[in-house]
Amino acid sequence: MTAFNYPDSFDVLVIGAGHAGCEAALAAARMGARTLLLTQDLDAIGLMPCNPSIGGVGKGQLVREIDALGGEMGKATDLSMLSCHMLNTSKGAAVRSPRAQCDKKMYQAAMKRALEREPNLRVVQDEAARILTKGRKAAGVLTARNTRYNSRTVILTAGTFLRGIIHIGMDSFPGGRYNHPPSNLLSKSLSGLGLKLGRLKTGTPMRLHARGIDFSKCVRQDPDSPAAPFSHFTAEIKNTLLPCWITRTGSATAEVIKAGLHRSPLYSGKIKSTGPRYCPSIEDKVVKFPHHGAHHLFLEPEGFSTEEYYVNGLSTSLPEEVQVAIVRSVPGLEKAEIMRAGYAIEYDYSDPCQLDYTLETRALTGFYMAGQVNGTTGYEEAAGQGLVAGINAALKVSGREPLVLRRDEGYLGVMIDDLVSKGVDEPYRIFTSRAEFRLLLRTDNADLRLAPRGFALGLLDPALKENFEAYRAAAETILAGGKPAKLPPGPWTMEKARATSAIEKIYAMYVQRNRKEAEKMKKFEHLRIPPDFSYASAKALPNEARHKLEKNRPLSLAQAGRIPGITPADVQLLWVLLEKRKGGRP
Amino acid sequence: MKLPETSDTIAALATPPGAGALAIIRISGPAAFSTASSFLAPAQRDPEHSAARLLSVKNGPALVDRAVVVFFRAPASYTGDDTVEITCHGSPYIIRTILNLAVKSGARPAEPGEFTLRAFLNGKMDLAQAEAVGELIAAGSAGAHRAAITQAEGGLSAEVRGIRTALAGLLAEIEARLDDSYEEIPALETRAFARRAAAARGKTLSLAAGFGAGRGIRDGVKVVITGAPNSGKSSLLNALLGYDRAMVSRRAGTTRDTLEASLDIDGFSILFTDTAGLNARAASPLEREGIKRAEKAIALADTIVLVKDASVKESPGDRRAERETARLALKGTRLLRVLNKADLLTGKSRRAPGCLLVSAKTGDGLPKFKAALVAEQKKVFRDGAQAVVTSARHFAALSGAAAELAGLEAVLKKNRPPLELAAEHLRGALAALASLLGETTPEEVLGNIFKNFCVGK
Repeated sequence: MTAFNYPDSFDVLVIGAGHAGCEAALAAARMGARTLLLTQDLDAIGLMPCNPSIGGVGKGQLVREIDALGGEMGKATDLSMLSCHMLNTSKGAAVRSPRAQCDKKMYQAAMKRALEREPNLRVVQDEAARILTKGRKAAGVLTARNTRYNSRTVILTAGTFLRGIIHIGMDSFPGGRYNHPPSNLLSKSLSGLGLKLGRLKTGTPMRLHARGIDFSKCVRQDPDSPAAPFSHFTAEIKNTLLPCWITRTGSATAEVIKAGLHRSPLYSGKIKSTGPRYCPSIEDKVVKFPHHGAHHLFLEPEGFSTEEYYVNGLSTSLPEEVQVAIVRSVPGLEKAEIMRAGYAIEYDYSDPCQLDYTLETRALTGFYMAGQVNGTTGYEEAAGQGLVAGINAALKVSGREPLVLRRDEGYLGVMIDDLVSKGVDEPYRIFTSRAEFRLLLRTDNADLRLAPRGFALGLLDPALKENFEAYRAAAETILAGGKPAKLPPGPWTMEKARATSAIEKIYAMYVQRNRKEAEKMKKFEHLRIPPDFSYASAKALPNEARHKLEKNRPLSLAQAGRIPGITPADVQLLWVLLEKRKGGRP
Repeated sequence: MKLPETSDTIAALATPPGAGALAIIRISGPAAFSTASSFLAPAQRDPEHSAARLLSVKNGPALVDRAVVVFFRAPASYTGDDTVEITCHGSPYIIRTILNLAVKSGARPAEPGEFTLRAFLNGKMDLAQAEAVGELIAAGSAGAHRAAITQAEGGLSAEVRGIRTALAGLLAEIEARLDDSYEEIPALETRAFARRAAAARGKTLSLAAGFGAGRGIRDGVKVVITGAPNSGKSSLLNALLGYDRAMVSRRAGTTRDTLEASLDIDGFSILFTDTAGLNARAASPLEREGIKRAEKAIALADTIVLVKDASVKESPGDRRAERETARLALKGTRLLRVLNKADLLTGKSRRAPGCLLVSAKTGDGLPKFKAALVAEQKKVFRDGAQAVVTSARHFAALSGAAAELAGLEAVLKKNRPPLELAAEHLRGALAALASLLGETTPEEVLGNIFKNFCVGK
């Protein structure tokens, strides 16, 4: 069969329409790049195959940052929100973070609509089979239907689809997610490009029918009122929110699980890859923490117009009959009906150390990767990477400077820097403990940190710039004890300026220290290492350091210093060599 | 992460440690003058550039030493920054006290090669010298790394490590609660937590005080003499020292315990340890204990001198000594192979390349051997380098950590203490200790959390 050569060519081609792919495609298109989004299934755009929930500690900060850079996730969340809680209200503002339950279908619809309305973006249903190259550059994609799309850059957001295998008990079958075939061709194509792949594992709990849940035996958890929007541009949440419900496992559940462990693919050794420690399966929790009598379960509705409930806390890959027994051992779930069984999935990921800080692969110019395929977990982590990859691909085709966010600018910077400089050995989730500048990276100042970048990139509406600049000035004035000037109308209000200044004031002493450290780091971020720097000729560097630097190819001295095993002395040495090469002085 | 800092004030000993009648302490950076003035009398408000003056070094009211002090104004100094050079008496006690005084008034103990790095970055050196600067940093940092591991012996290192573990544990307790999306972990019991923090601070303070008082870590090059039994290790030591420190006999296994002796070579202080021969078939429990001590000494050595008998063919004992040395020595430890008993050489005797040929009996080859012992140190002490005074580093790190822990206690005393601020102080304390034991990474803290708390959904 000869390939059909698609008549139009593109600047940016995005493979996959999950959370990474959607943000990547939207950002690139909004920056003026002719963009194509390829998806296996148009009806699975923006799908939340696990918990239909957005936000959480650290993740909420990510969503605010994505939003400040013109991303879509926050807006789609606000449109589809069905429950919402501000977390860590008993703790300080730096770790406070919103978490929302969404109507799964409404979220998808919101995201699909945003994609469809983007003038520079085309969305096509087909499966990518091979990355096309021209020399050491990406040239496009060949699909399973043998269509050839030419594009100057390609962004792969394959999620868990690469050689995905689903496990329920001792049964296993290929799948990128339940009911969706895996992308095995693509996995082969990546290996062919010389990319190193590994295996990871993740899982999801069962879903229950509401009529089998005795809510009178559960604790009701009402949504916050009023609900706080995720997006800077949402004035208020219009949906009528629903409660969630809490129950707990007991000793009976533990007994059922222990009796079924020999049929667990995790404990029988069938699954060998590593899962996220943060999202342990219920069998893991019972085995590792036997002295914990009870584990909380959250029953969360999957939508306004469905009876399906997500059982947060019961992720499992035990056989279906054991799952039924587990669920029915829980108070309030004695008559539970499982609508979808929980399962585990193993998939290929690509070692993120092979990426540049722009998320472009080092193996192939113009080829980017974002999301779960880079070894992360979570919709927010995926969306953040997608956004950064989309922005960078668009910047590249227009010949502009890449966007690399620093660790003091956002969790986006922390995450990508961690991935690229350290790699992963389990699915990577963001935590506030990963951020050395935690007090600077708050939900209330995501806009102050990143909206200027959003405006500069053309991702935020220029008509709002005046409102934002006045807001920024007002926040500073209030902090300094002055009287702020009136703000032009827009999403940024005086009330918000007062709130953020008040937080900044509480943290003043610490923030100052954080900023001082950040300034020091910034100086080293600006000490760039030229891409053609030859480590081989840097004889003074110890062998071990030379190999690490050669593999990682940091862009700056600061990044070099963050690579595990690189010592302060190595950084000093490198500095001297750079100065010598420059032939000048800092 | 530790990045080079070039805008603070650093202090270091600029002469080889542990030897010499006089020592030079160099303080450089924007606050060099005020740092030095804080312990010099009479106070120097506006010192003249490059003029030497005799001043008193005071630790509070107590006179520490009379020293010759020269103030150099930027940019006319070695580093290009304001610099003070204090020439004091060479006693380790005085050196440590002055360095600690500098640390107390805001200076930081310099990292290896740091003065030279600053000189280079400030344009005080030719670009062609970059390679030399690089070598200096590399050699110095290797030495400092070894020093950090080997010089804090006698359980000290274990104590510092213990503090670090305790602090990392405390931090994990807080981080677990800050990152707990479902708020399932029970609230922190502040009183018990504060007690543990106070205990850690107490320990940190008392350790710091020990270093402040000039607690004896001997600074110098640690040379361990080892080899097969009866290869003449003790004779070699006696010959180096010029007097009979060790008992010698023709019998293998004469030396049971490890023997220590010190010697100055070209101004460098060398601490020799003579060990029992690494004999596979140790005859007595006493000899076995001797071997155990020998093994420990090898693991702490800067340089290992492996002695073989030149007059006989290589024996299984020699090969065993080679193997054991390779197994026990720290990475980067220098190895010098010495063929002793050169006087007994006959035609059939061996000559091995890369070995120094000496005779303990006649003294042949000894000068060359001595020069080889200090060759590395000489490289490090080329113009502008500085010694790493381990005690000053410990003092600075521990006092820094203690100050952060005091901040932590203040936070914990508040009503509903803000945990994210408590975490800032614990992070600060761990960062202060990083120069001794390496960084505490977020992964380490996360590992702690996942081990101890059932978090996540």
